[in-house]
Amino acid sequence: MTDQVGPLLVVKDLTKEYRSTGALFAKPTCVRAVDGVSFTVQRGECLGLVGESGSGKTTLGRCILRLTEPTSGKVVFDDVDLLALKAKPLRALRRRMQLVFQDPFGSLNPRMTVGTAVREPLEVHRIARGSDARRKVANLFGEVGLDPTYVDRYPHELSGGQRQRVGIARALSVEPEFVVLDEPVSALDVSVQAQVLNLLADLRERHGLTYLFIAHDLAVVRHIADRVVVMYLGRLMELAAAANTYQEPMHPYTTSLLSAVPVPDPDRQRERIILGGDVPNPRTPPPGCPFHPRCPHPKKNERCHSEVPELHEVQPDHWVACHHADSVFTLQTGR
Amino acid sequence: MNPILTVRHLTTTFATEQGIARAVDDVSFQLYQGETLGIVGESGSGKTVTALSLLRLIDRPGRISVESVVEYQGNDLMRLSPRALREIRGAEIAMVFQEPTTSLNPVLTVGTQITETLRAHQIASGRTARDRAVDLLNLVGLPDPQKRIGDYPHQLSGGMQQRVLIAIALSCSPRVLIADEPTTALDVTIQAQILELLLDLKQRLGMSMILITHDLGIVAGVTDRVAVMYGGQLVEQSPMRALFREPAHPYTGALMRSVPRLDRLVERLNTIPGAVPPAHAWPTGCRFHPRCPHAWDQCQSEMPTLTPTGPEHSVRCWLTDEPERRRT
Repeated sequence: MTDQVGPLLVVKDLTKEYRSTGALFAKPTCVRAVDGVSFTVQRGECLGLVGESGSGKTTLGRCILRLTEPTSGKVVFDDVDLLALKAKPLRALRRRMQLVFQDPFGSLNPRMTVGTAVREPLEVHRIARGSDARRKVANLFGEVGLDPTYVDRYPHELSGGQRQRVGIARALSVEPEFVVLDEPVSALDVSVQAQVLNLLADLRERHGLTYLFIAHDLAVVRHIADRVVVMYLGRLMELAAAANTYQEPMHPYTTSLLSAVPVPDPDRQRERIILGGDVPNPRTPPPGCPFHPRCPHPKKNERCHSEVPELHEVQPDHWVACHHADSVFTLQTGR
Repeated sequence: MNPILTVRHLTTTFATEQGIARAVDDVSFQLYQGETLGIVGESGSGKTVTALSLLRLIDRPGRISVESVVEYQGNDLMRLSPRALREIRGAEIAMVFQEPTTSLNPVLTVGTQITETLRAHQIASGRTARDRAVDLLNLVGLPDPQKRIGDYPHQLSGGMQQRVLIAIALSCSPRVLIADEPTTALDVTIQAQILELLLDLKQRLGMSMILITHDLGIVAGVTDRVAVMYGGQLVEQSPMRALFREPAHPYTGALMRSVPRLDRLVERLNTIPGAVPPAHAWPTGCRFHPRCPHAWDQCQSEMPTLTPTGPEHSVRCWLTDEPERRRT
């Protein structure tokens, strides 16, 4: 794979609208879950995607895999335009891109042993069958740290951490290059979460995988991601290397979000920005910058109310969608 | 400092198909006037059942054992008549639950659900109850309370629903508030709002609070003292700062090291091997021993007791007897 240059994934102006006709005489409403999103994912990197509920991060992940049909825009995977593909070539390409869900219990068939669940994709994609498939499954179990004797168990007989390992084994069974991980550890206890995060890091290294890691937990994303995208109300707010996003956030939303995360150290309690209000209803997004009603930036002005800020490169490889990104407002740290 | 709540030997069991599950096993602690006590643990550690047991909110097949004592204002809540208990529950000791969506009645307006509590405890009725409900919604920072009072829960966001639940809990000016993972279902910016609100209200209304959480960040930001639970037992109790400075129980330390942190980047996270065992199959001896890096044969055969190790600090671990066995 080293001979290939260029990004593995290019997402351009991706938009997903949901229309509801509502009641008989009601005006049809339109929700833009994903609104003009563009970014690239480099080969072998882990791109973190953070946002609160309703930010559109899950929809974006599904649109990229075309599990949800985007309304417009482009998704180019390894130079192939995914949205132009017909069903059959798409299915073939899907082998190279997989999804791991948040809730492994909800995504595993309760009546299927976990061994069968991992073997199924091998047969669907005609990678292996019979004893060959069984051997592969045993190897996969070993690789994700599951006792190979567990193949005959049912999902309810496993703990949450073990089920997530099954979900990971299933995704890896077809030897993908790209994995979308949608909140893969948020249903797990802290002690188990660390195990799964370490496993994901190992697998990435061993197989040269590329990850899109979707999560609401900023500390988890910081731990695993090389670059981070911050989403709010369907739009990208900031995109930069993880170290830059976390140490020198340039979008006031990112700054606020980071300051809200409780730090497990009583001597390092920081000044917090407490954002007022809730995330606006995506049905009736505010005009201008989607964040302006809650924005604590002192330079907030008329322009923020009327004009949607475009994502632009403020510093090399640091992209921000804010009219005032040039005047970074920083928080007083420490108390 | 005077304790407002004294819990002794609290034990709650559940009859399950696999046998008797001791979900809460001989838990003793005190809640002092005006403090915030954090109860920390992972799922299955018994922290929620502890909270529910304090107010006898345990249904069959659950059972609170006879030796359990919860002293409040000279009364043992475990032995009060159901009627006398009802007068205390919700009025003097109130509770906020994790899932605002499931804790509110979907077919009643927000206003009705607040005034219901006021009427049940004969604090106010009619017009006065309504006015008080508006005041309460104002207090918890719900925008436009005059209008919101007629809303049904589904018309509110998760953060607003949690504010309503807090308003209901505060409606009778309780002296003790038990909050069980009050922000777990909420987004981080909303979580910050709710925690700030709880702290502010606690101070203004002079309440004492038990905050149950799995999030060590919340513990560090909000609590005064901490009780760590594992396997249905308290394994460590300490003033909050001392706990973070020097966690004595191997579980507490391991838990702290396994959390990814914003302020400290590590190459690899520390892990605790295995998972929390189910309540019907607690390990023998120390319940943490199968996952503990320091464990030796005594840990497997004998259960350590919660032993005082310093001012307000106690630990349930054999290492307190033989500190030289601690591996670094």
